Amino acid sequence: MSRWAKQIQMQCKIPAIGIASSNIVHYATGYVAKYQNGMPIRYVSVPFPFTGQPRAVDVGYVTGKGMLSGRPLMTAVVAALTDPLTADEKISGTPPEESIEPRLLPPDTEDNLRVMFDEKEWTDFNTIILPTEKRVTEMLKGTSHKPDEVIKTINITGGARPLTVEKVAVSAVMAGASPEHFPVILALATQAPFGNSTSSLANMVIISGPIRDKLKFNCGTNAMGPYNRSNAVVGRAFTIMSKTAGDLRNNVNAWETLGNTAQYNNMCYGENEAALPEGWQPLHVQMGFKPTENVITVGTGWSAIASVGASQSIYPTHYLMRDYISSFCASGSAATVVIDPTVAGLLKDTHGFQTKEQLSEWFSQNIQKTAGSYWGNGVIQSTAVPLALQGLEPYASWRKLPDDALIKPFTNPRAIHVIVAGGGVQTMWFVTDYGIRRGVSIDEWM
Amino acid sequence: MDRRKVLRFLGISPAVLAGFPASAEKTRARVASSDGNAGDLITVMNPAIAGKLADRVPLVPPLDTLNGKFIYMVNLSWEGPDAANYFYEAMTEWLQQHYTGLTTKVKVTAEGMFGADPGLLKDITASGAAAAIVGVAG
Repeated sequence: MSRWAKQIQMQCKIPAIGIASSNIVHYATGYVAKYQNGMPIRYVSVPFPFTGQPRAVDVGYVTGKGMLSGRPLMTAVVAALTDPLTADEKISGTPPEESIEPRLLPPDTEDNLRVMFDEKEWTDFNTIILPTEKRVTEMLKGTSHKPDEVIKTINITGGARPLTVEKVAVSAVMAGASPEHFPVILALATQAPFGNSTSSLANMVIISGPIRDKLKFNCGTNAMGPYNRSNAVVGRAFTIMSKTAGDLRNNVNAWETLGNTAQYNNMCYGENEAALPEGWQPLHVQMGFKPTENVITVGTGWSAIASVGASQSIYPTHYLMRDYISSFCASGSAATVVIDPTVAGLLKDTHGFQTKEQLSEWFSQNIQKTAGSYWGNGVIQSTAVPLALQGLEPYASWRKLPDDALIKPFTNPRAIHVIVAGGGVQTMWFVTDYGIRRGVSIDEWM
Repeated sequence: MDRRKVLRFLGISPAVLAGFPASAEKTRARVASSDGNAGDLITVMNPAIAGKLADRVPLVPPLDTLNGKFIYMVNLSWEGPDAANYFYEAMTEWLQQHYTGLTTKVKVTAEGMFGADPGLLKDITASGAAAAIVGVAG
């Protein structure tokens, strides 16, 4: 919102103010103004929500009080448009550098450092390994890359923070990783930070290639559970590097209203490539990598639904998957299905899906939901309605449909991924709304 | 042995302690360790990365009055283009009741909150608007 107000002020040369809920106002006038926008946009804080409220509620917002000032809301609006500028609002130019973060922290006791790391929100609030220089130096032996190499600049909430190999090594130590994990974690760092939204965004991290066996990633029984060190430390490292490099702090610039427990480990697991049915390619091979290459892939989404029980012959497994996926919002046409090898075998041998791609295509052609349910989702409203308003199909046509009309919103089968994991103990599966990004080579970080 | 040599002997950079005088005092009284024995002072690496501050841009001077002014309301389509319709209507009513000759226009951005809309900025300029209200989000 600050971006829009700034553009209007700079290009149209007129005052522009923002109206938002108190959490957005705190963020916009604090972190965004400091690190992103530079212009101290005036805001008025309004109660929330708006969506689905009767007219009387919105009228009550207008005639009621502002959430931050305590003044009548419209008095605050008028003041924001007419009050003379303060000295701070007239400042221009490059501000002095913020205090440089020292490479080493002041010496202190272990207990005090642990308290400080938690207070700074550098941890996931589970016990960390303190990153002594000796431990970080040892971690750096896991790669040929130089410590000062910048992997990427983290700017998702502003600040343009350069994430270096050494900073990732600090996070890797904190997460409990060993030097042999470090190339995996460096490849993962190219995808940092993890999801950050007012919704419950989370991530999925999938390991592919021979490194799964070399580092003993769990691809079998309990692949997605807390039963394996490599799965645990690599997934956790993503959280810690995201928080430290992204400077993510609760109610400062991290605003997920409910959050997501998947962010503790980011669903890190390996694909059970050895158990793939014949003709089904590993995820990274589907993306064009060689089977012998080592790849890490990150997905982003919100939700996962388990099959709960075993597959039943009276209702084919892919029908039940279809039914469950239809409850997802279909943002970006994305879905990721994680299935046990026994389910993969059923789908191929009993139901005839010779490849993962055939199954993805079937989902795309057969998952339906009502137009009302589709448009009733807030993410779809924020992302697909603008496309419909521009006349882009199929969104423009879908928006004209009655609420009970059925549509097929998973239009892109290439955005529907199938991953095989698990130990063959039960015919279980998860369907998720995670969108999978392009995989990243781990080998390039060795 | 001078202080710098003592610090170097203890494995602590004098340059680091120079920035933290209180910590330096504590360090003189206790033995530092680099491998984390409980109760000893240890030195660890900083996981944080300094952020670059944004260049400051001053606000455009505010209006002296709202009487007779045209106020452009930009609807960012948060949770849908219709989510805040009643709010904009009620806000317009209030402003027109309190300010003589005040007029408004509400326009939904072409690509929502996160996209671009160059046409919007041209429209605001062409409209002769005196000020803009951008909203709403939660």
